[in-house]
Amino acid sequence: MLQVAFGMFLLVLGGCVTVRPEQRAVMADETMQFDSDPGDRAARDHVLENREGSSGGSSVKGGGCGCN
Amino acid sequence: MQLRRLLSALWGATGLVLPLAAAAQVAEVAPRATVFLEPSKTSKLLVINPNAELSVTPIDWLELHAGYEADIVSGATESLKGGRLSPVDIVSSATDFKDTRHQVTGGFGLTRDSTKLSATYAFGTESDYHSHAFSVQSGTTFLQKNTELTLAYGRGFDRVCTTGFADSDGPSVRRELDSSKGCFTKAVDRASRKVDLDNFQVGWTQTWTPVLATQLVLYGALQHGFLENPYRAVVIAPAGDQALENHPDNRLRMAVAARGKYYLRPLRMALSAGARLYRDTWDILGQTYELEAERYVWPDLRVMVHGRYYTQTEALFWSDDYTGGEPQDGPRGQYWTGDRELSPLSSYLLGGRFIFKKTAEQQKKFGNFLRTFETSFSFDLMKTTLKEFTWGGSKPDDTLALIASLGVRAAF
Repeated sequence: MLQVAFGMFLLVLGGCVTVRPEQRAVMADETMQFDSDPGDRAARDHVLENREGSSGGSSVKGGGCGCN
Repeated sequence: MQLRRLLSALWGATGLVLPLAAAAQVAEVAPRATVFLEPSKTSKLLVINPNAELSVTPIDWLELHAGYEADIVSGATESLKGGRLSPVDIVSSATDFKDTRHQVTGGFGLTRDSTKLSATYAFGTESDYHSHAFSVQSGTTFLQKNTELTLAYGRGFDRVCTTGFADSDGPSVRRELDSSKGCFTKAVDRASRKVDLDNFQVGWTQTWTPVLATQLVLYGALQHGFLENPYRAVVIAPAGDQALENHPDNRLRMAVAARGKYYLRPLRMALSAGARLYRDTWDILGQTYELEAERYVWPDLRVMVHGRYYTQTEALFWSDDYTGGEPQDGPRGQYWTGDRELSPLSSYLLGGRFIFKKTAEQQKKFGNFLRTFETSFSFDLMKTTLKEFTWGGSKPDDTLALIASLGVRAAF
């Protein structure tokens, strides 16, 4: 079962290599990054974690921008 | 003593990073100040958080970073929690307090082709709490950089100051702290207790089309040790008997978050939506929903607006009033808490952010030294609805919070 799920995961990933480097102008922009201002997000998370019973799951840096 | 160690650590980290900064290919400095204000007639809270980070890249594959931050906290808080049936005057028990937490961090990052590994150490100290934390994070991109996976682990070794009760003392005879005086000394009426923290996070970011990306984050944390507020007592009997909060020693926390980014070409705007589900072994179920829109209003200035809704259920052992004769072997008979964060609540947050960023053209610098300059200002308003929590039957009035943050980032 696990092997089937992993196989499907790879199949999905393989099928999604549709964005070539020359098509990444939009994705490379900072507005499309999931954590474009980490300092600001960290400051807000610091407050929220002290005011709520939940924590974690914050955005990780990324966006697969490939902006080279 | 702790402050001296902290200053030594800061001096050491800065001494290591500064000479490298002078010779580095890229050096970046990022100071920021954040203010959190909760106005209230009886229990206002003000937190000022200045922080600064310095990072240098002496060679292409190596980054060194050091940082400092402080939480300067002042306000008033109710040290005794009772509910609607409590025969004790709760609100007039609010006492003023001031405290400052200092934290220094230092670490490095290694980059090789499409893979990155980083490690950070943080040392924090305040009058009643000490912490040491190590964290490592790795990430890699593949499938033509359309896919990114990250893996992170953090370990905290903390100590919190309490009154000098023995572990064998029953929870109902333990007393709360009245101040941090004597903490982390050999004073007989003070003790320090361990808090161990483990955090795990896995992230998967995927680009699906030239204008659509998604992110999935799985999070887990294990907390073990003294998890109570050492300053808060709870009324636990009809006659008004009080005791220090008593929480379980272990808490396993899990969260799964999914978010997406979509670029709306006609409006030239990036839209983001996200949801997070949270669950822990104290039986809190939390849900978070976020929406965000960001676009350029000038070539170097972009504006973001966002909204957030959060709701949670109460911890299994939470009650607004513990004087109602709960069975002693039930969750509310074994444990008691005065923390509103463990009560059923919901909150709305609305805010915005301006970012101005100017980058010099390739191989050039502003004034021959500045590659990039960025400044950001954000402002948020958060309104919390406490569904059942009261101070002796009165609804708290400190449920509106203001958060403002101003930051600068410069690369040389």
